[in-house]
Amino acid sequence: MAMIDTGRDTCDGTNSGTGSGTGSGTGDDADHATDHDGPDTGPDGVRLHVQRLSPPDGRPPTAIAVLIHGLLTDSLASWYFTVAPGLAAAGLEVVMYDQRGHGRSERPGSGYRLDTFVTDLERLLDRLDIAGPVHLVGNCFGGTVAFAYAMRHPERVAGIAVIEAQPATESWLTEISGILRRVVAELVVHEAESLAWVSANRGAHTARLAKSAARLVRTTTIAEDVPESRVVSEEQIGAVRCPVLAVYGADSELAGQERWLESVLPGTRTVVLPGQGHSVLAEAPTRIRELLLSWIHGCDPATGVLGTGAPAVDAPLEADAS
Amino acid sequence: MTTVNQTATAPATDAPSDDAPAVLAEISRMLRTMLDEYGLDDIEVTMETRFTQDLELESIDLVALASGLEARYGRQVNFAEFVAGLELDEIIDLAVGQLVEYVVRSLRAAGES
Repeated sequence: MAMIDTGRDTCDGTNSGTGSGTGSGTGDDADHATDHDGPDTGPDGVRLHVQRLSPPDGRPPTAIAVLIHGLLTDSLASWYFTVAPGLAAAGLEVVMYDQRGHGRSERPGSGYRLDTFVTDLERLLDRLDIAGPVHLVGNCFGGTVAFAYAMRHPERVAGIAVIEAQPATESWLTEISGILRRVVAELVVHEAESLAWVSANRGAHTARLAKSAARLVRTTTIAEDVPESRVVSEEQIGAVRCPVLAVYGADSELAGQERWLESVLPGTRTVVLPGQGHSVLAEAPTRIRELLLSWIHGCDPATGVLGTGAPAVDAPLEADAS
Repeated sequence: MTTVNQTATAPATDAPSDDAPAVLAEISRMLRTMLDEYGLDDIEVTMETRFTQDLELESIDLVALASGLEARYGRQVNFAEFVAGLELDEIIDLAVGQLVEYVVRSLRAAGES
């Protein structure tokens, strides 16, 4: 298994935006995904593309939210163009990054087990000098990363909010492995036909994302590595002590997951949004933003303990949250 | 005090101009650098050119373009604020001209204040 080496920088996102602007971490641009088609030969300290949004007018942030995107067709753009500006406007310091192989981050040839993605997050926060407890917000696979990080570093996490996600259980592994097998079969083996279908039925932009996903699967070992990820037991999940918010779409294949999560991790706040599927973040960004703000502001950022004692089910929204 | 390494853009030393043709030229230059990274051929960029349909850019490329714009024009050109008012579909469907107009508006507003 390829491990991140200990000496090299894992990201170049050391610029921070203050005010309401963005900070770019694209570095000297020598390490864009497009420049890394070859197999990875050494221990990989990959370079990750980072974007930050800060509260307006130099206000000190009320909390730090780290937004983690999903697998294959996803990137930090899914946050940047949905909830991120609203979260920053409401007073949060928002940190977004492209996970390895995705978006404008480096795409090493190997090293795609869950643990490696978690180590990337660890090193990213170190590199950005973010020491205090953070709120992790994960969409789909990003939520799996958030759970795993919270298990590895309970002291560094104020709370986790996951959208359409589950921890790395045996059943998660079975599902994601099945998805990756289908992607290999459809997108890689029959790429031209598949992309033509996606373009005709889902639009040009989705086809463009699918093309990038096909390239990721074709040029790296991600489809073999993710299924080799270490799984966690229900006991390990039950030991997570930070507040957890889990949001699902009622029409998603993950519907029902909320009941299992509540049973394994009592105190989890779950929300099921009617009429929504797996892409609820893109489809209902306003609702998701409200839920996240209410949740994050209901947690004490210093300790991660819910301020009111009870889960912040009906915590009032901030004035500018809607 | 955002510092952004000049990445997708070659360093521009002259003071930014707020007229539309100059802004279009600037954005075209950033886009050509980006397309070049993807190994795509030079495409003529006009006000009507659409990011996804015509240039095959991804949403993440628009994020990178936003960084480039801020590096060039400063924080008065706030792309995050611009897109916050748009639906995802509208962002994906953006034309270069819409962005040019936004940059021109932002620069003039900043110049007047």
